[in-house]
Amino acid sequence: MTHTAFREVGQNTAHEVDFVVVGSGAGGSAAAVTLARGGATVAIIEAGPWRDPDDYPETAYGAMRDMMDDWGNSMAVGQALWPIVQARLVGGTTVVNSAICVRTPGDIFRQWRDEHGVGGDAYADRLWKYQDLIERDLCVEEVPERALGRSNRLALVGDERANLGGHVMRRYVKGCDGSGQCLQGCKNLRKQSTNLNYVPETMQRRGIVLSCAPVDKILLDGSRAIGVTGHFQHPTTKRAGARFTVRARRGVFVAASVTHSPVLLMRSGIKSRQLGNFFRAHPGTGIFGVYDEPVDMNAGATQGWASTKFRSEPGMKLETLSIPLELVASRLSGGGTQLMQRLGKYRHMAMWVHACRAESVGTVRPMAFGLSSKPVIRYGLHRADMERFREGMKMVARMHFEAGAKEIIPGVHGLPYALTPDQLHVMDSAPLDPRAYVAILSHLFGGAVMGKDPRTSVCDENGRVHGYEGLYIGDASAIPTNLGVNPQHTIMALAMNAAERALGSR
Amino acid sequence: MKWLIRKTMQDLYPGGGDLPGVEETGLDVFLDQFKAEAPALMYAGLLAGTALYQLTPVMTVGKPLPALLLSPELRERHAERITSTSNYPLRQSVFLVKMVAGMCWGKDERVRRQMNMSAYQGDPGTWRSE
Repeated sequence: MTHTAFREVGQNTAHEVDFVVVGSGAGGSAAAVTLARGGATVAIIEAGPWRDPDDYPETAYGAMRDMMDDWGNSMAVGQALWPIVQARLVGGTTVVNSAICVRTPGDIFRQWRDEHGVGGDAYADRLWKYQDLIERDLCVEEVPERALGRSNRLALVGDERANLGGHVMRRYVKGCDGSGQCLQGCKNLRKQSTNLNYVPETMQRRGIVLSCAPVDKILLDGSRAIGVTGHFQHPTTKRAGARFTVRARRGVFVAASVTHSPVLLMRSGIKSRQLGNFFRAHPGTGIFGVYDEPVDMNAGATQGWASTKFRSEPGMKLETLSIPLELVASRLSGGGTQLMQRLGKYRHMAMWVHACRAESVGTVRPMAFGLSSKPVIRYGLHRADMERFREGMKMVARMHFEAGAKEIIPGVHGLPYALTPDQLHVMDSAPLDPRAYVAILSHLFGGAVMGKDPRTSVCDENGRVHGYEGLYIGDASAIPTNLGVNPQHTIMALAMNAAERALGSR
Repeated sequence: MKWLIRKTMQDLYPGGGDLPGVEETGLDVFLDQFKAEAPALMYAGLLAGTALYQLTPVMTVGKPLPALLLSPELRERHAERITSTSNYPLRQSVFLVKMVAGMCWGKDERVRRQMNMSAYQGDPGTWRSE
């Protein structure tokens, strides 16, 4: 077993393996373990450090500093600045998400077939079989009753009364104890993030891991990918260290995330007219309900309830989400004594959210003149999406009232700070300007999308980049449409599928 | 500039009520840590947000003075209004100041105890080096 972390300048390293996998999140780790189980030697190259559960921070500040890509400052630039939630450490975003497991809906495969010439029934069956395997590997289970906490229980009440068709979530979590720390990494080893399973298993199967190792470039021999190179980066000071080079005898998988994979491919000279196009997301925001009795939303599973009933029409997912107190402080509007009084009700608040299945499309590009390795994401929501977004907020607000909230806090600029049940209709007049909302982009798709036609896509349904040999996409960059559900399960299945095809393509 | 950042954050999260204000939650140490660790662009954003907060009372309370020279009552009103101004870049700039201050305030043991939450054990800041 070999793990190499940051190396100082002068301590250059070189390796040779069958496959290089860039990125260790949902896609990268699933591809890597599949390749390793198939007998190949694999090198996982991760830009961020390897933090074990004992290394996990507890505060929101620590999570931003130690786990998030660029301290959580990655932004999509459109009419408004909306942050992108993405981690940068071994295990990727699986370390900081809520481990929500949703199988790829059948209509998605039909949509891919009709619009992109990939997918279809046989493809769906293949991916669902991988999802069966992943569910066994990662111990998927419903959030146990004892771990739900009051926020999730209230959501179940609101759901039943408002007929939202929701359910207790299934997650990659083994025996959740409801510590409410999903977003800072689960120190109790319950959440099955990939740094705890697929990455170590890959190492046990003769694999190697390079952490603190952002890849500068994919090495090409003509149109064949033959490895990667880059410089180690110190996880604290960010100073550059030694050069690393990893040669790949059989192929390179790019799974560095929707924002980084397209940029890495462009930087490496990969020619594809659709590279960086068709960026999509699930923009979302939360609404607080204020209840008579304390909710203590940070006690219990961070996310435990969801409804996917509306993913087709009007196009959204509803969920519970407890965010750390530190972030609630800035999420509530106002300042001064007024803000402190509002924070005084914190224990009585529950935050529930919606994620909008937006149709708007954006782009991912490298920074102009190579000023930074940071990708530039341009993304704005058109009017129909904003109407959908507003509708989602109203549904969450209604659910709070059905659950017994005495008021809701919409957090929308231009609306009153709080609304009572008889003021629900005010939500209809919420502005359609994205700048009025404090929102995030939680699930990202595209940038190197799959499809049959190289003129309209970057890779095929098995992740092979059109026009190149031994070069594969292994993350959500390949997903050509919005799913309307949490994407981790789909990303992992796509990566496993691509890895198995790559194993068989010798 | 640290004193001005501190002053601005105190306006946004003042003490004197049921909850501790940000100045009672180890703000000085936190600001030193933030300056040392945060990306330069983020720290620059904090400085810009602070400067904008201080320079905009003329927009919110009609006084051509920096916020730190306002009476307590006017400062209170400025803190309320500037955080909900219709000017998006300004609102976002002050939001960053509020967010950074919130990360200091919300991790404090006393604050957390009042919110019925256990104290944080700290952030080790460590990683696997071998």
